[in-house]
Amino acid sequence: MPVKSKHLILSLFFTLSGFLFGSSKEEILKKGKSLYNGAGSCVACHMPDGKGQKGTIPPLFGSDWLKGGSDRSIAISLRGLAGPIKVNGKKYYSAMPPQLLFDDQKLAYILSYVNNEWGNKEPIVTEEQVAQARKSLPPSVFTPQTLLQKFPFDKKYNRKNGTFTPTFDDMISNITKPIIYRTFMPGSSPSAFAVALPGNHYFCWDAGECRLRYVWTKGGFIRGNQNHWSSNGKPVAEFNGIPYYRPRTSKLKDESFEELSKTNRNAPIYDTSEATNFPINIDGNTENPTFLGYRLINGFPKFRYSVGNHKITELIEMNPENSGIQRTFTISPPAKTTLNLTPSSLASITTDRGILTPKGLLTLTPKESVQFSVFIKPREKSN
Amino acid sequence: MKPWILLLSFLWMPSAFCETAPQYSVTNISAPPTKFKNTQIDGLTFLPNGKLVVCLPSGEIFFRDNKGEKWELFAEGLHNPLGVIALSNSELIVTQRPELTRIRDLDGDGKADDYEVITDQFGMSGNYHEFNFTPVQDTQGNYFFALGTGSSGDGVRTITRGVFNARGRPGRMHSSTPYRGCIMMHTTTGKTLPYSYGHRTPNGLGFDLKGNLFVTDNQGDWVGSSKLFHVQKDRFYGHAASLAWKPDFKGVPVDSPVEKLAKLRTRACVVFPHGTMANSPTKVLAISEEANFGPFTGQLLVGEMNKPRIVRVMLEEVDGELQGACIPFIDGSPLGRGCNRMAWAPDGSLFVGQTKHTWAGGQGIQQVSWNGKMPFEIQKMELTEDGFQFTFTQPVNRENAQKKETWPFFRYFFEYRKAYGSPRSAEEKVEVNNIHISKNAKVVKIGLTELKPWHIHEVKIQDLTSKDGDRINNNYIVYTLNRLLANTPPDPLQIKKPKN
Repeated sequence: MPVKSKHLILSLFFTLSGFLFGSSKEEILKKGKSLYNGAGSCVACHMPDGKGQKGTIPPLFGSDWLKGGSDRSIAISLRGLAGPIKVNGKKYYSAMPPQLLFDDQKLAYILSYVNNEWGNKEPIVTEEQVAQARKSLPPSVFTPQTLLQKFPFDKKYNRKNGTFTPTFDDMISNITKPIIYRTFMPGSSPSAFAVALPGNHYFCWDAGECRLRYVWTKGGFIRGNQNHWSSNGKPVAEFNGIPYYRPRTSKLKDESFEELSKTNRNAPIYDTSEATNFPINIDGNTENPTFLGYRLINGFPKFRYSVGNHKITELIEMNPENSGIQRTFTISPPAKTTLNLTPSSLASITTDRGILTPKGLLTLTPKESVQFSVFIKPREKSN
Repeated sequence: MKPWILLLSFLWMPSAFCETAPQYSVTNISAPPTKFKNTQIDGLTFLPNGKLVVCLPSGEIFFRDNKGEKWELFAEGLHNPLGVIALSNSELIVTQRPELTRIRDLDGDGKADDYEVITDQFGMSGNYHEFNFTPVQDTQGNYFFALGTGSSGDGVRTITRGVFNARGRPGRMHSSTPYRGCIMMHTTTGKTLPYSYGHRTPNGLGFDLKGNLFVTDNQGDWVGSSKLFHVQKDRFYGHAASLAWKPDFKGVPVDSPVEKLAKLRTRACVVFPHGTMANSPTKVLAISEEANFGPFTGQLLVGEMNKPRIVRVMLEEVDGELQGACIPFIDGSPLGRGCNRMAWAPDGSLFVGQTKHTWAGGQGIQQVSWNGKMPFEIQKMELTEDGFQFTFTQPVNRENAQKKETWPFFRYFFEYRKAYGSPRSAEEKVEVNNIHISKNAKVVKIGLTELKPWHIHEVKIQDLTSKDGDRINNNYIVYTLNRLLANTPPDPLQIKKPKN
């Protein structure tokens, strides 16, 4: 975008005048830092380190959107930005609301701070720049397309960033019936299920080891625009939420989802033949389970698998209060059974049969093992 | 429009004139209403009741009513289904990445509600290239399916399914989890076994009418040019990685001496020369009695991804092994690129599903119909003692046919080597010695000055017309001459040793 020379001179003038009339660069950045980190302010989403949040909030740290002048960031702050964007080559889905709480001066401080923190080396933003933009920008919220039309990237910076078109699942806000996809999921064997339940609880179930891997509710289901469905199948499905329940699994420790999404390893962390600690213990049987398939019960998946001579079914649906998931198991022939449910600070776990210890060990008599349910829901105040 | 664009479009036009033979018409079929944007077709068959079945990369399976062109969603959420068999109107067998799966509609509402694992007794490293291709069923009820190798375009994931085998991991295309690069058999007694070894990207199994099993493979490492193999139990077909799972094979397959591997391998019954015949062959479909497709019953059709082309294959048994010729058949516009899956419709026409998955190809469904008029084609090409015998669908114009320059033969071979693909090696012209035309002018015997086994022989027949003056529809035919009718010398291996 050609910068109007008059505008440039004005900006320069005001920048200099800012320095002349008492606000040194240091002071500006100090004020900006304090505002940035204020309660309910930028920091809540973009984080103290400016790195944002994977998949939702883009980073300000080293952001390519900040480069080549501040018109774009001023516009986003004043009018907001709705729609997914790519920053430094990664996708982010959350919208940015217009920052109506800050006057021109405060916004200039904040943007100056962002421009010069975390190794960023962009110019100081002046109160006048913000005031000018507030007057002249169109009143509506920007979409990535309208924003970049007005403030396109300099060719030097626009290789990886920009916009993309979301599809199907990005549009889903309310799940009304269960959605079941078999796809590659982080933290699971390659034979994985991603399931969305009405009421917007989501889980990953691993058919390679016949176990529930994790459950989440905030941040939406897996992305529908991942290449998986149109491309060669390379990517692992992405989602934004943090699981409220992630039971202990065999060989994994505390690897992050980012780590578990890697596809380019020379060797795996482990293979399923080495899997241990299958959560269900039937009559002391230590065999690994065999996946047999699943049936849709009113659209909800009822997985079936076997351990030794015992067949297990596991139906996963919403709990009656619609606040979490309900896992209903049957074991046939019935037998003395324990189920290891990892306790979680983020989730409450209850059951309708057997004895559940604080350590999460559920013990069932043969009679109770015929059919029993486990209820898992996020604790209040948590996710 | 700028003048240079006009000029370009004129230059482009001649290729648009490369059209499907006039006796065959191509009709576009409306795409299924997928929730996802692409309409690539990775599985295609017909139900006993005549409805078309297609599988999409989205994991959806649709049925199409032949009358109303109405699509019904039958199943969804599958992981890259790459082939389908219809056992009944409500029961399908599908290969998807993790399994061979039986999908049934139990309550009769027209939507699948039960997904049963027939077998998942094979590995997945999670590498994107580990496709699970095209289930087929033999007359006894055994299932066969084809496992692709992993690609060096990516590694393996954090958790792999099945025993991780580091011996199969090195190499361009790898086999680090059980049986990648094998054709698998799932027996009627419930056992899942590797049936043959040495496949790279075996995108398309199919039986001929005699019950022989065939599979294609794509050019790449260890595959000098794309191929068609006659799949037989426990044989090795050349791609090294899957030898990691062959019980008697020791060491790291890709580091084994090439000569050792070359001695182990079974040759392709047909090689598709890269660039001229096929770069990425797909499904094998026999031209059945039910097909209404011209005088080619018993021959095979093979799809090709890169060009708008379906290849026809004719085989014969020579010295105990199958070998034969391939020729473009349905070729050029309006046929689309990416011909990946094919099946015979109840009316005997051919339905073709197209795909690409980021490679060259296309998307959509087309129907190819024969109008019943005899095309002027090479009906078959067979080996003789000193050359080849061509049988035509119509009498040939004797004047053209008896000229030696009508038959410019070339021969060459593709090296067997670890590197990606192979150039044509030792390519030379082969002189025609004599030409004999049968009384009815339908059979032409070409005697060559030399017939060299273990070499590919190709000819682009020049200016041949039928007796009635029709131009031949397809004049480029390639015979993979492994064995002679008698006294075949041993396989010269034709290896390329890696430079030290």
